[in-house]
Amino acid sequence: MLPKFASVIAKTREEALSWLSSLENPRIIAGGTDLMVKMRAGKQYSHVIDVAGVPELLTMTETDGRLSVGSAMTHARLSTSEPIIRNARSLALACGLVGSPQIRNMGTIGGNLANASPAADSIPPLLIHDAVLVLESKETRRRVPLEEVIVAPYVTSIDRKELLGSVEINPLRGYREGYRRVAKRATWAISRLGVAFAIKEDKGRFTDVKLAIGSCTPMPFRPKKVEDLLKGAEKNEAIITEAIRMALEEIKLISGIRPSYAYKLPVLKGILEEVLRG
Amino acid sequence: MFIGQDITRVDALDKVLGTAAFAHDLKNNTMLFACVVRSSRPHAMIRKIDASAALALDGVVKVLSHKDIPGENLFGAIKKDQPFLAEGRVRYKGEAILVVVGVTEEIARKASGLVEIEYEDLEYISDPFLSMRSAILIHDGGNLLSHRKVIKGDAGKGFESSDVVVENTYSTTWIDHAYMETEAGIGYTDERGHIVVASSTQNIHYKMKEIARLLAIPPEQVRVVQATTGGGFGGKLDVTVEGYIALAVYHTKRPVVMRYTREESFLGHTKRHPLYIEYKTGAGKDGNLTAVEVNIIGDTGPYISYGETVCLRAAVHATGPYEVPNVLVNSRMFYTNNPVSGAMRGFGVPQLALAHESQLDEIAERIGMDPLDIRMKNALKRGSLTATSQVLHHSAGLLETLKGIEPFWRARRKQGPGSGFGLGCMYYGIGNTGISNPSSCYLTFTPEGRVEMHSGVCDIGQGSDTVLLQILCDALGMEEMGIDLVRGDTDTSLDAGSTSASRQTYISGMAVCNAAQKMREYLEGQGYYSGKPLKDICREAAEKGLPVFKGHFDPPTTAPDPETSQGAPYATYAFATHMTEVHVDEVTGVCKAVKVHAAHDVGRAINVSNVKGQIYGGVAMGVGLALMEEFIPGKTESFDNYYLPTSMDMPEVEAIVVEDREPTGPFGAKGVGEPALIPQAAAIVNAIKDATGVRMRQLPCDIERLKLALEKNKIK
Repeated sequence: MLPKFASVIAKTREEALSWLSSLENPRIIAGGTDLMVKMRAGKQYSHVIDVAGVPELLTMTETDGRLSVGSAMTHARLSTSEPIIRNARSLALACGLVGSPQIRNMGTIGGNLANASPAADSIPPLLIHDAVLVLESKETRRRVPLEEVIVAPYVTSIDRKELLGSVEINPLRGYREGYRRVAKRATWAISRLGVAFAIKEDKGRFTDVKLAIGSCTPMPFRPKKVEDLLKGAEKNEAIITEAIRMALEEIKLISGIRPSYAYKLPVLKGILEEVLRG
Repeated sequence: MFIGQDITRVDALDKVLGTAAFAHDLKNNTMLFACVVRSSRPHAMIRKIDASAALALDGVVKVLSHKDIPGENLFGAIKKDQPFLAEGRVRYKGEAILVVVGVTEEIARKASGLVEIEYEDLEYISDPFLSMRSAILIHDGGNLLSHRKVIKGDAGKGFESSDVVVENTYSTTWIDHAYMETEAGIGYTDERGHIVVASSTQNIHYKMKEIARLLAIPPEQVRVVQATTGGGFGGKLDVTVEGYIALAVYHTKRPVVMRYTREESFLGHTKRHPLYIEYKTGAGKDGNLTAVEVNIIGDTGPYISYGETVCLRAAVHATGPYEVPNVLVNSRMFYTNNPVSGAMRGFGVPQLALAHESQLDEIAERIGMDPLDIRMKNALKRGSLTATSQVLHHSAGLLETLKGIEPFWRARRKQGPGSGFGLGCMYYGIGNTGISNPSSCYLTFTPEGRVEMHSGVCDIGQGSDTVLLQILCDALGMEEMGIDLVRGDTDTSLDAGSTSASRQTYISGMAVCNAAQKMREYLEGQGYYSGKPLKDICREAAEKGLPVFKGHFDPPTTAPDPETSQGAPYATYAFATHMTEVHVDEVTGVCKAVKVHAAHDVGRAINVSNVKGQIYGGVAMGVGLALMEEFIPGKTESFDNYYLPTSMDMPEVEAIVVEDREPTGPFGAKGVGEPALIPQAAAIVNAIKDATGVRMRQLPCDIERLKLALEKNKIK
């Protein structure tokens, strides 16, 4: 059963920020697909501030070659949004795989980031698009790279008074881009493993490779050393094998050996093989 | 003619419109809410219970313990061994200790969280192998609940004369029924002072008797009504909320409602038995089975529920639907401190089907025979002797189901790597095993000139109400469905027995036929069949009191021999063959069931859509059993960590209905409820072998198990 709480519906960004600054123990709610589950399990807030209808958080704009995505945009919208499909295919694919149709209709990109689950489907694609989060409070406004915002599983550096306004991403054009994920059933399942990739090749060489791996380490991450190794390298089995070896090593370095790795590492190896071979 | 027609189900409109009243829909604001305080320990002595904080909470009406039970605290479908409320000792995590009654659900649940219980832990008997060795006894009589044997011929000699012998072990796990509607009910005292309980249930008369024992009142003073029920699958055969509701009504003298949360349902109610199966099969080079030896060890949890039933039914079905001259089966159930394992669709037979169907495929592979051919060669047919030496005198359509599948099997083509096909066959005895399990009903007329059928059969969504009406219409030779159905109420019906063991169409259908025959004779005498309107007959009859026609049927069975289980435990058997096509992604271990052909000998399909609906649902459950469902005691809490297949995991299913009519059944019908599930997991596992070369012997064959097996196989 839910604990007692009050709710307010913000009509504008300004209103949401004012409430965030003045209320005792508020929490932003958009789709509520994570928050309501946590509250039912006992998490208490004095107020929830509903931002699902705030127009500024529902817009998508392109400036200086960067794409800005409003934080209250739902997974369902992003998965079918033409600019997202064109500029960030992996993100569109990942958003289309989150939970179930109901969850995708309610859940938002901002909520997925603020919840910071190791298995959040949207995070690996955002990582390969060098996502920067725009965090605002009544007094401040800052832009922080996604890697720096997520500090531990389910923990972010977003201040209690801050609102995640938008996510800025670098479009990737001319890349072979996608998102592969594994789950225990066809739908309505949390990812056991998720890999976002964007690969550019020219004349038998990798000219650029971006990879991000989710559901494997405490936080989804980009194996940057592997990307550096592949950048400019001739595309052959030897380099692919070496790249995968390095990726798996890096995972073990981050997390040590976990029981789930008996499954995850061989699967990741297979997926990376498929992804890199193309 | 109504038999064999696709009559729209009588409950369809209400369900589609959302007006059907499920148990919790019967609540109103005057009702108190009751909830159960459960053990947080798998095995412990209760040292102290402090309910003072709960009682002090505003709105709490009563906190009830075993001391408040005026009658017998122990209940059980087979034997009375399970306490409604624990007395000094708990034997599984989730065992009921107290009932808290409050003016609202919120208050009752909050109060139940305030109860403090001090435990002194006892050794947790976590599996049957520990149970058989442990000096800790879960019950005074020892940790072995039941040991049943099937002995036919001489298995040792059979193996000596075999050209090929295959020996393997298989294991399965706990499965939750996962019905859409959790356990729920309401109760009140009526104007006669009788205790009335309306609940989500598979059996009303049994629950009436248990409530009477609990409260030490005559059964005639208890009325149990079946509310519209959102699924049972065996999980609502045991007493769930009914006893607690009755107890709360008894003490508060006020109406009471209960509904389990999903978490409570997972924690508190029964599960499918995990079975560990050692299986040895012998055959000749020609593919004829020569001997089967099976050793079954089951985890029955701490109370009996249907443990003995599963023990025996698994044993007598252990060979599968094949003629085996030499059989030795040892089936044992041990008590543990895991959840109570009870009845679930198939009573142990789906677990055995995994084993016998895998074994048969392996024999076929060893001798170079086609899996379909080896099944045809050994199939039980009319005149065959089963493992219990029962002669199949009548309906035995396994060969016809195999022939129904044959064109698809012969035409199968693998769709690239990861594609595979598998077969699964089964037979299943309709009704309870070797004991009397009668059904009764009665018919009468309304003064307005309609036939009234009084049925105690619980329709839990499988469609028995419609099927029984179809049977009655044809048995009376009616041209339209001029029948009023009065159903699911102990005050207005006779005991039809439980909706379980795939028995209602066959057994209650025969009881209806029996009553209909008497009514038909009466109507004959009144001139109905020569054209006199029923209205006139009823109006005249009403003056001297409307006649009542009772129907009864108890399938002829013999009690299994206590040493060898030889005998005729069932009056008739259903047969089926499934063929499943899978696609396995060897990179991820994800197996998708792509297409299923399911051929079922149902004797006679009274309602073809209903039969097909059962088959689709059975296949769905089989996919879950094979590929993902697993309840882990102490870990699984809800659907968050219990994976039930979704519509996206479902294969396309083509149902093939085979009708080898059963002369002892209503218009030739047998049953299909459990058979629909039984062979599916086996067919999937055989298909995975075909697709990957890997034989999975442990269920569920989830993505992690399958991937690990594939990796191991690569190294080999």
